[in-house]
Amino acid sequence: MKYDCIIIGGGISGLTCGIKCAKEGMSCAVITAGMSALHFSSGSIDLLGYYPDNTIVHTPADVLNSFAVNKPDHPYAKCGPDIVMEALNFLREELSEQELELCSNGNNNHFHVTPVGTLKPTFLSQKSVFNENINQAFKKNTTISIINFKGYRDFNSDIAAVNLKKHRLFTDCTITSNSIDLQDLQGAVKEAIELRSIDISRIFDKDENLHEIAERLKRAAGDSEFIGVPAVAGLENHKTVYEQLVDLTEKIVYEIPTLPPSIPGMRIDRALKSRFSGLGGVLITGDRIIGGTIVNDQVTRVYTKHHQQEGMTARNVVLASGSFFSGGMVAEIGNIKEPIFGLLVDYPKQREEWRSQLFFQKPAHPFLSFGVRTDENLNPNVQNGPLVKNLFCAGAVLAGYNPISEGSGGGVAAGTGYYAALQAKKRCDDIRKGNE
Amino acid sequence: MINLENISFDHCIKCTVCTAYCPVSRVTGRFPGPKLAGPDTERLRKKNPELLDKSLIYCSNCKRCEVACPSDVNIADIIQAARCSYLENSFRIRDFVMSRTDMVGGMTTCFSSLTNCLLKNRLIKKVLELFIGLTAKRELPDYNKRSFRQWYGTVKARQHRFKEKAVYFHGCYVNYNDQALGRDVIKLLNAMNRGVIITDEKCCGVPLIANGYLEKAKVNAKFNIDSLKSAADNNGMRILSTSSTCMFALKHEYPGVLGIDNTSISGRLDYIMSYINRLFEQDDIPVLEAMNITAVYHSPCHLERLGGVIDTIEALRRIPGLNLKNLHSECCGISGTYGFKKEYYQISQEIGRELFLAINKIKPDIVITDCETCRWQIEMNTPFETVHPVTLLARALKKV
Repeated sequence: MKYDCIIIGGGISGLTCGIKCAKEGMSCAVITAGMSALHFSSGSIDLLGYYPDNTIVHTPADVLNSFAVNKPDHPYAKCGPDIVMEALNFLREELSEQELELCSNGNNNHFHVTPVGTLKPTFLSQKSVFNENINQAFKKNTTISIINFKGYRDFNSDIAAVNLKKHRLFTDCTITSNSIDLQDLQGAVKEAIELRSIDISRIFDKDENLHEIAERLKRAAGDSEFIGVPAVAGLENHKTVYEQLVDLTEKIVYEIPTLPPSIPGMRIDRALKSRFSGLGGVLITGDRIIGGTIVNDQVTRVYTKHHQQEGMTARNVVLASGSFFSGGMVAEIGNIKEPIFGLLVDYPKQREEWRSQLFFQKPAHPFLSFGVRTDENLNPNVQNGPLVKNLFCAGAVLAGYNPISEGSGGGVAAGTGYYAALQAKKRCDDIRKGNE
Repeated sequence: MINLENISFDHCIKCTVCTAYCPVSRVTGRFPGPKLAGPDTERLRKKNPELLDKSLIYCSNCKRCEVACPSDVNIADIIQAARCSYLENSFRIRDFVMSRTDMVGGMTTCFSSLTNCLLKNRLIKKVLELFIGLTAKRELPDYNKRSFRQWYGTVKARQHRFKEKAVYFHGCYVNYNDQALGRDVIKLLNAMNRGVIITDEKCCGVPLIANGYLEKAKVNAKFNIDSLKSAADNNGMRILSTSSTCMFALKHEYPGVLGIDNTSISGRLDYIMSYINRLFEQDDIPVLEAMNITAVYHSPCHLERLGGVIDTIEALRRIPGLNLKNLHSECCGISGTYGFKKEYYQISQEIGRELFLAINKIKPDIVITDCETCRWQIEMNTPFETVHPVTLLARALKKV
């Protein structure tokens, strides 16, 4: 199998790259082993949330401009701020083609509420998490009712309400907590032992349930202007579900991301995959890349678990395999490696320096910033070997940034994925010109 | 002490992503989802094997949980093994009959006209439903008059004259129900200058595993491994199958569920479209005539788990003029013998509903799928002819 571009990894980075490649007319395949980290994400796209001293960034693009000088090894410095912003706009447009709207607060960050009721800065959120009405309501002393669903154990509205009230923006708000029961609307699934985000999202997805859900929410919310619910308001039909809930309750409805599986993350996953396949990209699931051959400065072939014999060939390969959690990086005793190609990885040799002493310490654990070292074109080196010119690294596999302490995971994923696609396109064009 | 080789369930991080993609727990609350039925309760079962849960029987073994798992846990294998222990000591006439596809096939083929006729009779179907629990709502597959093996006798000599040959594990379905597919295999491979060899084989064992007959499945597995090995060892031939599920069993369930070492053949096993696509890639490709039709492709669950969907798609793209539409990957619901059972029929239909709607919306000239039971399910629920990709390629061959 021969492609213009093979992309290893099907998260935000790999799929953004795949969609851009497909739109540029390249033949491309995305190979993804298991579901991506989107299933564990808030579903909001961070760009840059925090300064190194942990204070909150208001206008990320302004800070990005200084990276070329202050942080030349940062992936943002390699792509350049213009490409990063272009990539986020691209992501927004492509998702809106699939009826998933991402909203921003102009050029500024906005907050989203976490499941425990704290606030986190982010750059792009789904309309049910951030929109102009929500923004206005948060600015005045509003009345908020946080409502959970009976039997749903991955969210606690009492904790969320108490913690939210502690934040300076909400001290003058009236915040109450309540719950409603939706289990009778489950139909054939009602004997279920567990009630997870996915089960509740399916209750919302059924059109015939919406009036009843809205009625119960409205009753539980009482006089509150604002209803906060765990982010389970529909997966397949989310757009209509959310619009209908707002209409029927006549209140401002707000989604709070939950523990995995993340329904907002799954909405993005579905939308990106449909978009990619719709543009003619080949999405390969159920298989995983296990290795590749590098001759001189080129990847000549990659092998998968199920195509070990003949493998696949491509003009360009993009490594968007994620960090430790996704298996893109592997830690052994005294050693950290990139398992597919054996690329040069940046990390301190002393194991004690890999982590912080406390689990929730700030700044975040150092290991989160370990990854593959690349040049300004995102080309990596093989350990003790040459620069590989048709291999581009993107997303969490990259070194030089800490997604947690910076609040930059989504932006780096989309930005570098998009930049890798541009680089791959350039190489394809050069090859074509060379042939002519 | 816990056997260290057998704690893959411990890689589970409890993320519940598998359950989000489980087609069964989507439509019924009786199955708690793969995470709970697999890794969660496996931990308890290790401590006390008596702890088996009736809900296990609702797993259809589609393996979508394993495809979704970010931590590479063989969730469905864990559930299958536990399910077999649960079913071990009960005798159910229906499950016994349904899992003996080779025995039943052998008997019915002798009287195929009679059985085909009887199995279409509504009264007889009602009786079967009432007494043994075989749903009357489903059309049962026809049995051929002659088995594929009997027909193969007429072309055997010619197959051996080819310099390049491959061993074909035809499986029960091609042997008893669809020898036309077997003939297409021979037509296509012969057109590519390759002979097709068959050898002694027993049912791959999947229906036995699904119905809880683990010991019988192990006997079949050992027989098949030995037989295929001795047949393929001459000239180092590849071993092919047209059934994504048989291939899945030979490759993965033998070691994964049955604990049987298949390394003597595992390096030679190819789902047929992987083999064909590999040859196509080397420009070893027969002359194909244009087919100006629209086809939709449904990827079977087990082929996804085998990572083989890409080969089918890439190979079909070689047919000139074929407008191929790939459906969003979804389970059709039938899962082998699962959808034929009275207690699962409704679940099976509910799982497939979206898929049928998607196919009906496109109104294709033909539906393509690699799996025989997907094919029954789609043909029963949509008005379109449904064929194996090999059949489509065989039809596209330039007439000589």
